[in-house]
Amino acid sequence: MIAPDSAAALRAERRFDLVTAVLIGLIAVLAAILSVIQIGASQAGTRADLQAARLAADLSARISVSAQADDSALTAQQTALMLGIDATSREISGLQNSDDASIALGTAEQSAFEKLKAALTATSATTGGAPVDAYTAGLLKADTAQLLVELAEQNRQVDLANAANGREQRAVLGLSFLALSGVLTGLAAVFREGRSGRISLSAACAIAAVAGLLALLAIV
Amino acid sequence: MVGELIEPIVAESREFVVSEIAEPTREHGHAGVAILLTVAAVVAALIGVGAAMTSSSASDAWQSALRTEVKRSAGAMEDVRYLYQAELPIAVRIVEARILESELLAASQGASGATKQALLLEASVQSQIVTGLSPSSDLAAKSDYALAPGGLDLGKRLAALRAENPSMLALDPDGLEATGDRLAHKAELLMMALLPTSAAAFLGVLAQPFRRRRLLLLRLGSAALAGGAIMALAVFFEVLT
Repeated sequence: MIAPDSAAALRAERRFDLVTAVLIGLIAVLAAILSVIQIGASQAGTRADLQAARLAADLSARISVSAQADDSALTAQQTALMLGIDATSREISGLQNSDDASIALGTAEQSAFEKLKAALTATSATTGGAPVDAYTAGLLKADTAQLLVELAEQNRQVDLANAANGREQRAVLGLSFLALSGVLTGLAAVFREGRSGRISLSAACAIAAVAGLLALLAIV
Repeated sequence: MVGELIEPIVAESREFVVSEIAEPTREHGHAGVAILLTVAAVVAALIGVGAAMTSSSASDAWQSALRTEVKRSAGAMEDVRYLYQAELPIAVRIVEARILESELLAASQGASGATKQALLLEASVQSQIVTGLSPSSDLAAKSDYALAPGGLDLGKRLAALRAENPSMLALDPDGLEATGDRLAHKAELLMMALLPTSAAAFLGVLAQPFRRRRLLLLRLGSAALAGGAIMALAVFFEVLT
């Protein structure tokens, strides 16, 4: 004959062992899943951060170089214009003072102005042209529309980095909860079936469930 | 009589109860469980180390791409600055003086007296400017950079300036970033190998309480572990990328 209390106690103990074993296994699987999420999010965050920094450096270079080329073209036109104004002024002064030499100088300068304007326009047109390497040519020829597109991409990378960092934080929090759950499971195994053991195991299950929830949140 | 005295004691002993309610199983396989869990832990640790190292290399490559980007843009900015701020203003002045000299000389052909003298004098001034400034301007002095209407080929000059530092031209941040991307992908695949490995641990742990299914669970666990290890090796040696 078997004592009914002993049989029930043994069944409870086996159930306790089963729950403990399943929980340990689940902790192992969840730890692997959270590690995969954590390293993926960490890498995505690092890449997006660095990509945003690269784009910021590139934007800075494009703005500086293209503005320099634009300024240079403008200055060249101003130089030609100054010669034109000088020519006209000499011609007017020559006419007002009946000075043939001034008129002749002004006329020659006027002719030079037209040629200088054409020469400097042709000079500015070679900015960023062959055989300049593609990267430098891209810097020189950057326009506002391109810069705005790049700026939008840079902002997108910053957003991606923030989102990835959030996912990584949730994964790390989940791993921390799992560690706590593992400790409580170990404690339950030491206490064995009994009030303390059951409390430890229940807490471990609850914390592992929170870790699972964090894993889901980290994936989304 | 003796049997009647002993029966209650026997009935309360745990060993007796076990023999009554437990399935008649052979208590072996503990060693298998221990070995499976140990090997799974070792494989998981190795995968973790490999993935961490690979991920770190990916991060290094990305960092290097950023540093290279900054270096490349600084090199290009310096060459552009030198051309447009240091060389071009002098070269433009030389071009202007050349054109003026040419136009003044042309005008002096049809002039006479004081007008001719004034034109020739002014042409001489422009000639002096060209002579004085030309030695300090490769851009204006070298015929390689001359354009037909009297202008200057800034593209050619900038390419020549850039070619003076070929190492700066060879900088390739995009290539470094692609290397980082490849290593990051490898690290992620390596971490994926942790999933079958953790499944092996799960099955190994379950084999302990499920005595009747122990052998099956151990076999499944071993297969999962082998799968994880093979996947990790294939990724590590870049068979699977």
